[in-house]
Amino acid sequence: MISKYIDRFSTKERVLHWFVTVTFFSLMLSGLGLYSRLFNGYFSLFGGGSNAILVHKIAGVMFFFSSLILFLHNREKVTEFDQDDQEWIRLRGGYLSTDEVHLNVGKFNPGQKMFAIFIGAATAVLGITGIFIWFPESFPRWIVQISLMLHGLMFVGSIMFVVVHVYLATIGNPGTLEAMLWGRVTRSWARHHHPKWYKETTGDNP
Amino acid sequence: MADTLNQATRKGFLVDTARCIGCRSCQVACKQWNKLDADKTTNQGTFENPRDLTPALYNRIKFVEKETSGEVTWQFVNERCMHCGDAGCMKVCPSPGALYRTKDGVVAFNKEKCISCKYCVSACPFNIPRYDADSKVSKCHLCIDRIGGGITPACAKACPTETLKYGNRSQLIAGAKAAKKTLYGEGDLNGLGVVYALEGPPEQYGLPANPHIPMSIFLWKDVIKPLGILGFWGSIGAMLLHYVTIGPKKIEEHDEEVRHDQ
Ligand code: HEM
Ligand code: SF4
Ligand code: SF4
Ligand code: SF4
Repeated sequence: MISKYIDRFSTKERVLHWFVTVTFFSLMLSGLGLYSRLFNGYFSLFGGGSNAILVHKIAGVMFFFSSLILFLHNREKVTEFDQDDQEWIRLRGGYLSTDEVHLNVGKFNPGQKMFAIFIGAATAVLGITGIFIWFPESFPRWIVQISLMLHGLMFVGSIMFVVVHVYLATIGNPGTLEAMLWGRVTRSWARHHHPKWYKETTGDNP
Repeated sequence: MADTLNQATRKGFLVDTARCIGCRSCQVACKQWNKLDADKTTNQGTFENPRDLTPALYNRIKFVEKETSGEVTWQFVNERCMHCGDAGCMKVCPSPGALYRTKDGVVAFNKEKCISCKYCVSACPFNIPRYDADSKVSKCHLCIDRIGGGITPACAKACPTETLKYGNRSQLIAGAKAAKKTLYGEGDLNGLGVVYALEGPPEQYGLPANPHIPMSIFLWKDVIKPLGILGFWGSIGAMLLHYVTIGPKKIEEHDEEVRHDQ
């Protein structure tokens, strides 16, 4: 009997993803109080603002490298868009209607690709501007000023994208979270969401 | 944080640059009163010393050298925190109480509340705040520990030529206007607490002609911050709305069963 499941992510990939996730949320929580005095209360999670900054710096370095590795690891799969992807984009992946649509999706759909590219770019910008903000006395004032602005912009941008990502990876697409938890998905999930990838990995015609 | 400023009772300085003889008594008096250590300086071929504010130097005399028909002349200008009416440093400070406005309109600081983010120097139109060995904010606090008790700030007290005049800001301005002085900082940034009487264009004294909170700092705090909070809740709302209207992409049950038979 053929197994009901097929492998989607290796253990290494899953560990990397959750490492990025943990550092991301540490950065978010420790950064909120720096983003606005409205969120000053979040500093108490870390025992004060100075500690929150320390956590932010450590988590920032860890996020920067792990997130870049994650992006580089997926680089080929997420940066190439083919004809089928254009059709997906035209139909918004079928997410904006209840009609059943059949889209020939590879390992990642164009929405996931754009998310991965955005996070990759945001990681680079947040990391570089973060260094300027870290050592303001060592760089020209205008660079630090623009960095503060860009850092805030990419911070909220990333959080908004991650909200969408978490929704689509959990309750928005039942069966998806398992891929990142245990590394495997059901055959019907794969046929349904990623038929081209299903064909490539199993040789079956979906 | 609420930044309430009473323009009528606001205290400040009038710096009448024409009277300054560059004796630097103000620098020394400030160091004495605030028990600030001496900074090690080097001879750099100029009489200006030190060349920049430091965490142990809250005010200093800038030497503006000018050459007119082969003769070198100096103009002296006192550099320090301006106690801006609209203070960029307070706008960006994430730690309530680290920088605060006193009832006299002074922008004072509390090192114990400072979390060393160093945002304030980037938001200051005059590049004033400095950070001590513990990375805590340091700058002129307009001698809050003196003026509260009715004593003149140390620097103004020490000034032998009355270049630095301390008092009620609007009275100082009225007096200078009556003497037909050209003022700098009267209306900029909701009024600077330190108003200058200059004898030439501000740029000549190394002062910005139109001091303002840097554009990127404004975009960061007044545009991105509120829109970002809106965007965050908007994205959460949009996902919830999607869930209850269009709904999740469920995998057809029959599909599952048919394939099980394989
Ligand atoms: C609780 C939070 C999160 C959950 C539940 C979650 C869940 C998932 C799942 C299930 C997948 C696999 C999707 C598939 O099989 O096609 C995935 C992929 C991915 N995740 Fe997450 N994730 C979370 C947070 C994050 C964060 C914070 C980041 C980065 C900042 C991130 C970046 C990625 C990337 C780049 C991929 C590759 C596929 C894509 O681009 O969508 N994730 N995530
Ligand atoms: S001069 Fe700079 S440090 Fe002083 S009140 Fe204005 S913004 Fe703040
Ligand atoms: S360095 Fe200190 S005073 Fe300056 S903005 Fe940060 S917390 Fe406030
Ligand atoms: S007002 Fe006080 S703290 Fe400010 S420069 Fe003068 S002496 Fe120093």
